[in-house]
Amino acid sequence: MYISHMVYSTELLKGTLKTIVLKLLADNKKMYGYEITQRVKEITADKIQITEGALYPTLHALEADKLVTTEVEYIGKRVRKYYSLSPAGKVKTKEKINELTSFIQTMTLLLELKPKTI
Amino acid sequence: MATLADEQVDFITRVIRAHGIRLQDLQDNLLDHICILVEQGLEQGGSFEEVLARVFRSCYHKELYELEEEALFLSSVKGPRLVLSRGKFFRWLFGIFLSPYLLYFLLALLHWLPAAYDVVPMVIFRWTLVGCFWPLVSLAVIFFTPERFEPLIPRHAKVMLGGGSLIRVFRFEASLVE
Repeated sequence: MYISHMVYSTELLKGTLKTIVLKLLADNKKMYGYEITQRVKEITADKIQITEGALYPTLHALEADKLVTTEVEYIGKRVRKYYSLSPAGKVKTKEKINELTSFIQTMTLLLELKPKTI
Repeated sequence: MATLADEQVDFITRVIRAHGIRLQDLQDNLLDHICILVEQGLEQGGSFEEVLARVFRSCYHKELYELEEEALFLSSVKGPRLVLSRGKFFRWLFGIFLSPYLLYFLLALLHWLPAAYDVVPMVIFRWTLVGCFWPLVSLAVIFFTPERFEPLIPRHAKVMLGGGSLIRVFRFEASLVE
């Protein structure tokens, strides 16, 4: 998976990309690709950098699964594609976040960690 | 911020296409993304060609078309699936072909088969020859063909068996995101 990272290993981030994208789309009404990468960088203080190679295949898959809807904006000869959550996507986002939260809690318990802010 | 001219946007579009991106959706996304990065790069100095080359190279690991393969892979993996390396795939295939015959001969060797089965060996032998030998030879040829000859399933390919698509071959180290 093409997630370049400063702190976290690829193995650690594997499987969380869809959840990250869905959560961002839930928090922001609509976003385009570049905006998503920048938002992740900003929130995580550069600790997670999602590359084009990771993001666009994932967005394509989310669209194929009908979890996101798209609208386009023409900027000269360029097309900017905005993504927003579909009703099914909103439900899926909750499921994914609950699943990931539960997983993190289990790992915290398993590794006897104390929650810390980034 | 610097804004790219239409000719420059057209040029980037052609470069993206030339690198094997055929999905319109992916082309549009990459074009916009690369244009933003190039515009930012131009702000910091450098020629369009230099900045584009730098930005373009940062978009992929080996080849840009990997993105399209990854996109197609992710949108096709639904339901239960099994991803195997080429070696494992062929071992399974060989096993499936051979196991009925091996089982029969093992049972025959141990004299565990009923007497009526004694008439079967010739039939089994013919079927082994027709139904198993030639496919196995063909597979062996493919298996030992050097990678430069682009065999049916390249050496580093991943083979996916699944409900969505019965069998698919991927030429790159496909990551199973979820």
